[in-house]
Amino acid sequence: MREIGRLVILAVVLAGLVVPAFGADKTVRGYESLGIVPGKVGGRLTMVLGDSPQSFLYYGVIDSNLQALSQHLYDGLVEYNYRTYELEPALAERWTISRDGRVYTFFLRQDVKWQDGQPFTADDVVFTYDQIVQNPEARAGDAGAFTIGGQRAKFEKVDTYTVRLTLPKAAPAMLQYMRLYIMPKHKLLPFTVEGGARPADINTAWPTTVDPREVIGTGPFRLQSYVPGQKVTLARNPNYWKKDANGTRLPYLSQLELLIIRDPEQQVAQFLAGNVGQLNISGAQFPDLRARQQAGAPFKVTSARALFGSPPHLAFNFDARNPELAKLFSDLRWRQAMQMAVNRQRIIDDVYNGLAELPGHGVAPISSWYFDTKKLLGTFDLQAAARALDEMGLRMGPDGVRRLPNGQPLEFTLTYGTDSSVWPPIATILQNDLKQIGVRANLQGILSRTLLSTGLSGNYEALLLAFGDQPDPELRKPIWQPGGALYYWHRATQPATPGGEANFSAMQPWERQIFDLWETGGTTVSRPQRKAVYDRWQMLFAQNLPVIMIAKPTAVGAIHNRYGNYLYSLGVIPGYNPVPLIFQR
Amino acid sequence: MASAGILLVLYVIAALAPFLAPYNLVEQHPDLTYQPPQRVRVVRDGRLVRPYVYPMTRKRDPVTFVLSFTEDMSRPLPIRLFVRGDRYSLLGLRSTWHLFGVSGGGIFLMGTDAFGRCLLSRTLVGSQVSLTVGVVGVAISFAIGIVIGGVSGYYAGILDTMIQRLIEVLLSIPRLPILLALATVIPASWPSSYVYVGIVAVLSLIGWAGLARVIRGQVIAMRDLEYVTAARATGLRDLPIILRHIMPNLSSYLIVTATLALPGYILGESALSFLGLGVKEPMASWGLLLRDAQNFRALNLYPWLLAPGALIVISVMAFNFVGDALRDAADLQSI
Amino acid sequence: MLWFVVRRVLLMVPALLVISALVFAVVQLQPGGFLTQYLDDPRFSPETVETIKRQFGLDQPAHVQYLRWLQGIVTRGDFGYSFLNGRPVGSLIWERVGWTVFLALLTIAGTWLIAIPLGIYTALRPRGPAATLVNLISYLGQAMPDFLLALLLIALVLSRGGTNVGGLFSPDYIGAPWSWGRLRDMLAHLWIPLAAISLEGVAGLMRQMRAKLLDVLGADYVRTARAKGAPERAVLWKHAVRNAINPLISLAGLSLPSLISSTILVSIVLNLPTIGPFLYDSLLNKDQYVVTTLLLISSLLLMVGNLLADLALAWADPRIRYQ
Repeated sequence: MREIGRLVILAVVLAGLVVPAFGADKTVRGYESLGIVPGKVGGRLTMVLGDSPQSFLYYGVIDSNLQALSQHLYDGLVEYNYRTYELEPALAERWTISRDGRVYTFFLRQDVKWQDGQPFTADDVVFTYDQIVQNPEARAGDAGAFTIGGQRAKFEKVDTYTVRLTLPKAAPAMLQYMRLYIMPKHKLLPFTVEGGARPADINTAWPTTVDPREVIGTGPFRLQSYVPGQKVTLARNPNYWKKDANGTRLPYLSQLELLIIRDPEQQVAQFLAGNVGQLNISGAQFPDLRARQQAGAPFKVTSARALFGSPPHLAFNFDARNPELAKLFSDLRWRQAMQMAVNRQRIIDDVYNGLAELPGHGVAPISSWYFDTKKLLGTFDLQAAARALDEMGLRMGPDGVRRLPNGQPLEFTLTYGTDSSVWPPIATILQNDLKQIGVRANLQGILSRTLLSTGLSGNYEALLLAFGDQPDPELRKPIWQPGGALYYWHRATQPATPGGEANFSAMQPWERQIFDLWETGGTTVSRPQRKAVYDRWQMLFAQNLPVIMIAKPTAVGAIHNRYGNYLYSLGVIPGYNPVPLIFQR
Repeated sequence: MASAGILLVLYVIAALAPFLAPYNLVEQHPDLTYQPPQRVRVVRDGRLVRPYVYPMTRKRDPVTFVLSFTEDMSRPLPIRLFVRGDRYSLLGLRSTWHLFGVSGGGIFLMGTDAFGRCLLSRTLVGSQVSLTVGVVGVAISFAIGIVIGGVSGYYAGILDTMIQRLIEVLLSIPRLPILLALATVIPASWPSSYVYVGIVAVLSLIGWAGLARVIRGQVIAMRDLEYVTAARATGLRDLPIILRHIMPNLSSYLIVTATLALPGYILGESALSFLGLGVKEPMASWGLLLRDAQNFRALNLYPWLLAPGALIVISVMAFNFVGDALRDAADLQSI
Repeated sequence: MLWFVVRRVLLMVPALLVISALVFAVVQLQPGGFLTQYLDDPRFSPETVETIKRQFGLDQPAHVQYLRWLQGIVTRGDFGYSFLNGRPVGSLIWERVGWTVFLALLTIAGTWLIAIPLGIYTALRPRGPAATLVNLISYLGQAMPDFLLALLLIALVLSRGGTNVGGLFSPDYIGAPWSWGRLRDMLAHLWIPLAAISLEGVAGLMRQMRAKLLDVLGADYVRTARAKGAPERAVLWKHAVRNAINPLISLAGLSLPSLISSTILVSIVLNLPTIGPFLYDSLLNKDQYVVTTLLLISSLLLMVGNLLADLALAWADPRIRYQ
């Protein structure tokens, strides 16, 4: 506690959130504007999992189904506000950050119990971060995020309910990682190095064959049973640490069922049949379901602008194998012309059925980090695009295809994912419009799951892909910082050896600027200053078009009328789980 | 007989597809997405006139986003024969003539898909893939099957034993999974026409083994017949004997087997397309087109997208009918 | 007879070896790797990739991976490790085997129970309207892709306000202890998969039965039996039908591998907890030991099915003797 004098409380207690004495439950309020009302205890909700979870240990395997399940079982130190997406207290009741941004002190909620009745303490937090999250062999751990400048972050227990995190260097986005789920030390110790196991053994903890009573968290529901390949059943945690505005203990639902259904059509069928209570759907499915609602079906289809969700982009390979194309794609005038040929409105109308908006640049338009770049998106104008290509000296050939400087026809392959309702139509629309300005795009369909690896291999010419948006830009640094591991459209900027210094000589001037902005943003502590840095980055992104952003899809979901307090979105992002508020009428 | 007629018609249509289709495979009509099929009318103001259609206009429901179409009664579009349209090449001839079309609007007798592409045109051109996958595939697997089966049966001995073991191994691998496994091996970087070849190759690689085994049996039964011995005595070499003297006697058997094997290829292609492993855009096949109809929103809002599925069923049924009839005629109950 | 069985079983060993090597090679040929699907996760650093490769032995050359896997099977009965599920392959397959076998056996039984009587009926009354209808349906069933049929059946149930649109149980009965209610619930769900999976089989088997029966009815010994003055009923059932079914018995053995493979598409559309979709997933994810093991097992099933068919044939047909 010797540092206490230097500590400045940065964690602002959010509007409507009162923090009384230590040890109180968290009261969830302030969402009246989202239509949240006091609910009724009891009832059951059935939702869908896209496939069987591959483990019950969140850190044992990267698996979106496990993530969807985990959010009901576990909590982190902090979590997102449902309305503002700002971080607010969860298992940590409050926290302080030292002025230099290196020392975080978390004061834990004191009456939280693990679902088996054991008390939740600082030991669990230190254990989780030190033994699991920072274990490089834990398959879904995140050792990388806690290694700054080659040095490891240090977690220490100060007292039973206080944890101190010391960073080698300031890292303003570090609070984002405090959403990670805390695991029970008394159950998982034998699988960790501290408990005498090998580092990789953590991945074998809590396989799906484990006794459900072994799998415990602090979350709103606990694991009751698992029928392989068919259903996961969760039961209400009667001692959960959240209450609603009236003081009723959350969650309202006494049971939560997750049916394992792989096929999207089968999911819709089960929803229409009433066997499933809530479903996340795609824009393509909206009109059918919405029309059924109109015709009196007992459910409601809602759409909402959401922060999470992946806006597709069109990337041209700066390092394409064909040197003529590589030169062309590196030319800003080319990418600007291509942007003019992207019919965003038609894609929004026809592909998303209107359930999408104009995209941001690396940041979701509803995020507080968003900088308005809409003007720089330009408008769809094939004639202007054609003129721009003319000015670049790309003359039209007799067959209606332009010629590259070396006389070859201007054609490239456009790689997209075939097993999706989004990629094939976008690719087809692009191909059709490009054809009219004398650019031949040859479509190449691959399985969606191999899109990114194709991009990273550099073996493509143009590619359609999407990266998810996150509440803090810093979380997407490997994507958007030139030389980053996922900066796949200009791989020449990447370090020669992993972990080495980015290849600055390959960067265009604006890429170098963006690179520096990321370096500054990663160590700036003041929020307004960080915002200014990321504003500048979004501006440069929109002007220089490393990739051409296409649209930001709206989140669409459907829920049966017997449920209340349905907030979109029900996703898989740790720290964002509105299910405890849902009740059965 | 009727089935043979149907097949003949289907193949003629496939051959002439670009000419019969009013549009090309990829032409999009952005304002006419998911347009239902237009009705061809012949009566106007109580009088019989040249067949015509009404153009349609699209409206999007502001709440449900459901598209609705109304016929524009004020502008009948008479259907004209032999009109100029997109350039295509057919049997080596380049042409812009199309069998029918309208001017001043669109004609979509089977409706349009999500991009406003003419489903009739796509189905017609797609038939080229769907109907040839089987023929080419059967041809390849027969070529392999005949040679290997023939050689194996003719020579007997160690070679025969080895080939038989290999065939047994191949036959012991279940069809669909190995089909899927091989389909995922087709490199993504291939253009769609190569993918087509790849899929045919995969389908036929799986098909030849069973055939080779049966042919071997037949060849064994025949190799010691007098006329074969005689042929050998005249100094003919082995391969010509197998191909010219033994195989013709198996021709009725081969024809029947081929006819009955074809539907498997059509269905196999549609199964691969269902999983997204089949023919890819911008090519079209019935399986790929049917994929657009494999969901409840299509069944509910755009049921005409099912038409390619109906064609799959019809052509497979026709092949089975013809195959059964041939089998009965050739009295080959053992197949 | 015993010697025959032993020899056949011994012959399976080298065949299975070749198959496993072939399948393993095919899986290796697939582009991409098991790890590529995780690359866009921010947690997945290049170091993590290396670590996991080492954990799984993926840093070794392919033939070493294969031989190690083989060694595991032979020495420890260990079929390897599922990368995707972080568990031994054996237990993963085992927990899905129950429903798969149940569905497959039910489908085979259903196919035979429907197809044989229909085959006999259409052979005896080839011209009636009922026979025409049966024929038409059988051709239709053979021509309809099973995944399309499954979807249309679901749409039909939905449009009639039904709730049993997929899976084997209503959510309430999944994992519940057996009861009359659960049995009823299962039967209400079961007809869709049975119809979708077995229609194709019914069509084929029915027509074979008809053809065989017509064949036999024209044979000399049947004519002899008739000439002897045996009652028509006895001629039909004792001589003709029995002899017509015999060759079909071998077909039953051949349908054993459908335990795993033939229901992949229907299982995906209808959300059935069988091995099919599991195999498909593993294939897409390049979960190599799962794929190889599953294909090995289905190949084994096919061989065992063949053997059983031969034995059944010998038992049913006194003319056949194996040495």
